[in-house]
Amino acid sequence: MSAQAALQPAARADLLSWLTTTDHKRIGILYLTTSLVYFGVAGLLAVAIRTQLSRPANTFVNAHTYAQLFTLHGTAMIFLFVAPFALGLANFLLPLQIGAPDMAFPRLNATSYWLFLFGGLIVFSGSATSEGAAANGWTSYAPLSEIKISTGLGEDLWIVGVFLVSVATILTAINFVTTVFVYRAPGMTMWRIPIFTWEMVATSLLIFMAFPALAADLLLLFVDRHLGGHAFDPAYGGSPILYQHLFWFFGHPEVYVMILPYFGVISEIIPVFSRKPIFGYTGLVLAAFAIAGLSMGVWAHHMFTTGAVDDPFFSFMSFLIAVPTGVKFFNWIGTMWRGSISFATPMLFSLGFLLNFLLGGITGVMVASPPIDFQAHQSYFIVAHMHYVLGGGSLFAIFAALFFWWPKMFGRKLNERLGKLCFWLLFIGFNITFLPMHVMGLEGMPRRVFTYPDTGHLALLNAIATSGSYVMVAGVLVFAWNVVVSAFDREPVGPDPWHANSLEWATSSPPPEYNFDRLPPIRSERPVFDARHPELRPDA
Amino acid sequence: MATATAQASLLAANWMLFAYVGLAVALVVWGLILFAALRWRRRESSSAPLPPQFRNNFALEIGWTVLPLALVCVLFVYTYRAEAGVEALVPDPSVTVAVNGYRWGWTFSYRDGPTVHGSFANPPELVLPRGETSRIVLTSSDVNHSFWIPAFLFKRDAIPGRVTAFDIDPTTTGSYTGHCAEFCGYDHALMGFRVKVVTPGEFGRWLKSPAT
Repeated sequence: MSAQAALQPAARADLLSWLTTTDHKRIGILYLTTSLVYFGVAGLLAVAIRTQLSRPANTFVNAHTYAQLFTLHGTAMIFLFVAPFALGLANFLLPLQIGAPDMAFPRLNATSYWLFLFGGLIVFSGSATSEGAAANGWTSYAPLSEIKISTGLGEDLWIVGVFLVSVATILTAINFVTTVFVYRAPGMTMWRIPIFTWEMVATSLLIFMAFPALAADLLLLFVDRHLGGHAFDPAYGGSPILYQHLFWFFGHPEVYVMILPYFGVISEIIPVFSRKPIFGYTGLVLAAFAIAGLSMGVWAHHMFTTGAVDDPFFSFMSFLIAVPTGVKFFNWIGTMWRGSISFATPMLFSLGFLLNFLLGGITGVMVASPPIDFQAHQSYFIVAHMHYVLGGGSLFAIFAALFFWWPKMFGRKLNERLGKLCFWLLFIGFNITFLPMHVMGLEGMPRRVFTYPDTGHLALLNAIATSGSYVMVAGVLVFAWNVVVSAFDREPVGPDPWHANSLEWATSSPPPEYNFDRLPPIRSERPVFDARHPELRPDA
Repeated sequence: MATATAQASLLAANWMLFAYVGLAVALVVWGLILFAALRWRRRESSSAPLPPQFRNNFALEIGWTVLPLALVCVLFVYTYRAEAGVEALVPDPSVTVAVNGYRWGWTFSYRDGPTVHGSFANPPELVLPRGETSRIVLTSSDVNHSFWIPAFLFKRDAIPGRVTAFDIDPTTTGSYTGHCAEFCGYDHALMGFRVKVVTPGEFGRWLKSPAT
């Protein structure tokens, strides 16, 4: 370790060095920290939403404020948290996992981060304008978002902010693909890169195909609003359906941009805590690309109720996605099978991911059936479905990743007891919040309503859901407390505290600038395991 | 399962099929996850010998690709038939109603009959005859809305510049609530309506004097 210690530069923790950094690890940590701050804000907005809905005809906020709350909540969670967290994590991990000193384009990488940060701030700055922030939902459908109806500056700031974030995302994807294709260490063939890295390659390809459609959609909307365009204005021959096509041509692949990286996280964590190699490596990689490919052909399942699309085609393509997703589930179970499984916090969150995401996946197949979607679409059933995917799925994988890679990033572990408390509060709170929403939807509660009548079981179900959201807040606060407590823990963890597999665990924690002074031989997808168990090496 | 329209019985059958299959798949996979995690939880110290380091099983992997593929193909056949039945339009509906969504309300214009308006306090009522086919011809005059009757298990978007049509065959008399399901601005939550299914005789009388 002395050679690595020598590589560590003198403590450069000053602000200027962070503002000007092009080091992928620092950019990764900036990305992660920023996205977690946006998560905190979006979570507070969610609590305000749940508080308003805690009983029928509540007056905690008015309709105007409520529309801004759910718009900013959705925008921040999707564009500023779940997707960018994955980009931040990959920024930190990708060069380490393939044995590279940095990303292919370090300054482009820094550009991406700053575009992301300011894009988000611009979206939120709408709150300071006289008519308030954007209030048309994270989808911002035209013609509702046209200037005739949405006259406020908040909508323009939303367009500009999300546009900048989409540019940042495309630039980052260019960086990831180039880095993985060109910068791998000797011996690191494509069939030996970790599953997380593979998932980020698939994610980046999706970003290339999907995000330009979003950028185009936003630009057209801006042209409509301020430069006399009529792309989405039916009064002049424009098409509201075109807005939806462009939006969902981005929006459905975006769902996989927000889940494939977390499939990667789970695929890294389960083998380590099962003390086994990942089961069906090739199948997992092929499944990732099958999901990515299919996800480009399912966008109009968000438009079944328009009566303007070929429902059976998009329904069948959506059903097919269940097949590679099922392959992944079976591979994760196969990895645990006959293993030696420990329930450390990262593994607990991974199991929570599997249990929650499964329900989101199954309701996903259900709503891919148009006759079911005719009832479920734009109801609380859909709200439940998407939160099981993005909250029960991605969010749990995000916490798994934080607990797993925290020691690599900061050289000390998060507290395990607080970690387990955080897990149980989030797991129980999450299910109390979102399970009842399936029933609310079936009972006829539309989404994006600030008030609802006291009919059926809606009052009871909403009260239960709101109480669950407060339990989730407690879980997040326990995590924040854990960060504070562990900051005072000075016990160094060494390079490989979990007895893990991939190359990031071959260097010190935190890694020095340019990452490695030497690399172990790379003869499989788990070189660090091979170095620890030379007797089991594939070529031994 | 008692349903309010002929279309809803097709929709409900499709719901039940997917719910049962989905629940069965969920129970099997949840069971496998929990079984694997608990059956092979680590009891000994981490210095114990490693568990078997197997990496794949080709036959199993083919199996768990092909079986789900077959399952979704079967589900697709059922869902395709259900949708075709729900969306089928008869050549000569006995009632045709032009429905227009606007910020924030609905108008129901009966062909050769009255036009029904409403307000937040007194939502408009769509009166339909039992046992006959009613054609709904839907559009919007400003932004996207969605015409949703939860008891009929059905909604269709009302989109400006587009006209779309669907048929309803009510099978029982009764009153139902409907909502706008597509966010259309601040008072979206208040954009409700009512549906009242009456006997053909009552419907004929209502058409002549809709004030009642």
